[in-house]
Amino acid sequence: MTSNQQTAGRALAGAGPSRSKRRKWLDQEGRWGLLFVSPYLIHFIVFVAGPLAASLYFSLSDYDMLNPPKWTGLDNYARLLHDPLFWKSLWNTLYFVILFVPSQAFLALLLAVALNRKLKGLKLFRMAHFIPVISSWTVILYVADSVFNPRFGFANAFLTRIGLDPQRWLQDEQLVIPLLVLIAVWKGIGYMMVIYLAGLQSVPGDLYEAADIDGAGAVRKFRAITLPLISPTTFLVIVLSTISTFQAFEQIYVLTGGAGGITAAGGPNNASLVLMLYLYREGFAFMRMGYASALAWVLFTILFVLTLLQLRLQGRWVHYD
Amino acid sequence: MKTKKWSIALLAVILATVLALAGCGGGGSTEPTGSTDAGEGQGAEGTGSEPSGQTEPSGQNEQVEITLGYYSDAKSDAKMKELIEKFKAKHPNITVKTQSAPYGQFFQKLDTQIAAGQAPDVWLSDGVYVMKYAERGAVRELTDWIENDLNKDDYYGLDFNKDAEGRYWAVPQGIQVGVLFYNKDLFDKAQVPYPTEDWTWEDLKETGAKLTVDAAGKTAEQDGFDSNNVNQFGLTFFSITEGWFPVLKSYGGGVLDETLTKSIVNSPENKQAVEWMVDGMKRGIITDPVDLKSFQSAMAVFPSGSAAMRIGIYSRVLAANEAGLNYDVTLLPKGPDGKRFSPVIANSWVINAKSDDKKAQAAWEWIKFWATEDEVQREWAALGEAVPVKKSVAQSDVFLTQSDKPANRKAFLDSLEFAGTLDSNAVWEEWVGKFNEHAQRAFLGDTTVDEALAAADKDIQAILDTFYQK
Repeated sequence: MTSNQQTAGRALAGAGPSRSKRRKWLDQEGRWGLLFVSPYLIHFIVFVAGPLAASLYFSLSDYDMLNPPKWTGLDNYARLLHDPLFWKSLWNTLYFVILFVPSQAFLALLLAVALNRKLKGLKLFRMAHFIPVISSWTVILYVADSVFNPRFGFANAFLTRIGLDPQRWLQDEQLVIPLLVLIAVWKGIGYMMVIYLAGLQSVPGDLYEAADIDGAGAVRKFRAITLPLISPTTFLVIVLSTISTFQAFEQIYVLTGGAGGITAAGGPNNASLVLMLYLYREGFAFMRMGYASALAWVLFTILFVLTLLQLRLQGRWVHYD
Repeated sequence: MKTKKWSIALLAVILATVLALAGCGGGGSTEPTGSTDAGEGQGAEGTGSEPSGQTEPSGQNEQVEITLGYYSDAKSDAKMKELIEKFKAKHPNITVKTQSAPYGQFFQKLDTQIAAGQAPDVWLSDGVYVMKYAERGAVRELTDWIENDLNKDDYYGLDFNKDAEGRYWAVPQGIQVGVLFYNKDLFDKAQVPYPTEDWTWEDLKETGAKLTVDAAGKTAEQDGFDSNNVNQFGLTFFSITEGWFPVLKSYGGGVLDETLTKSIVNSPENKQAVEWMVDGMKRGIITDPVDLKSFQSAMAVFPSGSAAMRIGIYSRVLAANEAGLNYDVTLLPKGPDGKRFSPVIANSWVINAKSDDKKAQAAWEWIKFWATEDEVQREWAALGEAVPVKKSVAQSDVFLTQSDKPANRKAFLDSLEFAGTLDSNAVWEEWVGKFNEHAQRAFLGDTTVDEALAAADKDIQAILDTFYQK
């Protein structure tokens, strides 16, 4: 048992890897230690590091999945620069993110503020807003279809009733991304609302009392107290939804592809082809796994830079207690 | 002290569990389902991969074990298993393991299996995918075996798997060929004579107009007809096989030249054909891409009685019969110069290029068994999913009087006289997607026919060049 105490002691001391320590690292205790962390290590190597290295290698090769990859250096990345569909899908993705992230954060906050009071039956409303969150995209497809179906949907029935021309909705190049954003906001708002509710409830009540005494109005209290104090929550919401929106796949696949699957998804005329969808199509439908891997690394780089940027900028507007 | 002992024990248990799980996971991902060893596989029912009756080698002939992969639904899966049992009874030295899955999953899995060198020795390929595998070196060339063992005149569709150099890559399992389906009740209601074998596409449109009805009950021929609010279409029209391809071809156009490496999209014949489509869609007679999206599936339009006619392959008979439709079939219409064309898809057996000669030989025995045995052909025909490959069976009552509807089943066989494949090559799926993309813009009036064809021509040529000029 003493040996275990020693291990613990050394770990606590947090000593750097000096020569003598390194030699000891491989002694019996060291091996035990390695054994104990091996579940994580094995998991990391097999499921994280390995696939990462493989995809990096694929991205530098010509790989059709049926034959072994052929090394081509930076060819895939060079091709990417001249691929109009890559630029279109990148633009579509950015457009989606720019529309979605602020509107989601803003509306979720409004909703959370509206539902952050002690009223009878309030839980029912909170629950109602959470139902779309736990529904699968296939279910959402049916709901969306009942509204935006060009022939049988409510939306066109309404437009025709008030004397306007029916629209193609999801089959319209201009409308498809705004509509996808609308549907995604509707589906995801409950989740962000819950995060905001937690944030709102952690704002100390005495601050509001003090503001009341000073004679501040509701708007003033919201701007001067609520917004700054929940800024960490807002930051979290924005980071989370930026990442998830860049990776949006299933929703667009289901809503635009329908029964046609991957080759039909992203329409009309690639107006809703986002990076993830393009990546999947290139890799799994058209068997260009090398190119798809290059796309994945570009997407990763963009996300990485964006997240760094967000972290850097947070000092300017996020207040931690 | 005691807690330390405990925590070590706990860690050991966790470690053991994780390792065991990792072992399972690893095994599962590299080894395709169904190829676990006999003991484990027994009774794995419901996984869709049950190895069929693994018995000890009898020791007389040299034992071979092959893996057979196919896509299926519950009904065809049962039938396939039955036929495999018959095969094994005839070939006691061959053990067959099966792998089956629904269509989409089957091909998704197959690609990763090929990548890992774990694909079945023989598998059922969608007809349009044969060249995708052949041109990437994943399947074995079958030319010699076919020349030696099969009398080509006895079978339909062997040539559908022949490449531009005359090599054979697969043997059809069943044939799908396109004909014109028409809903007799809708024709009767409108008091319009049924389609004939002499129709041109213009005739179809003219009659289709009388069968296109808007929400107010007006037909496309009448004044005040609202083409934005159609309740019943004249013709439903979708994607390549049951949409633009047969029309382009019978107008004298097409997508690829005979080498299947050059686009011939931008031609006056194609322009004429696409203009026929666009006009039909503008007038509400033919379903446009937005109309199709309003149905649960593009395949649902005809069986639901929302369209009077469809271009349909043989397997569409199943859905129409299930819906209890009163319908029949006839030859597809002719082009303006009398040219006929019927699209064909020959779903086929292929042999894995990586299988050794012994396994490949055993796999070939299975293919031969499938194509030559009358019993197999009859049993499969009875399922009603495909036109039998063996001519003697297809031309017998087994096929011709198999169900009351459609009455004119002979039309499928007659259509094979002027049938052609969908120009399928290694990048088929990709250029079809591209053509659809541009055609749809023309169909919806977002671009002109000229522009759509020019753009499709350019993009399709680029796809072909990317693959073939490496």
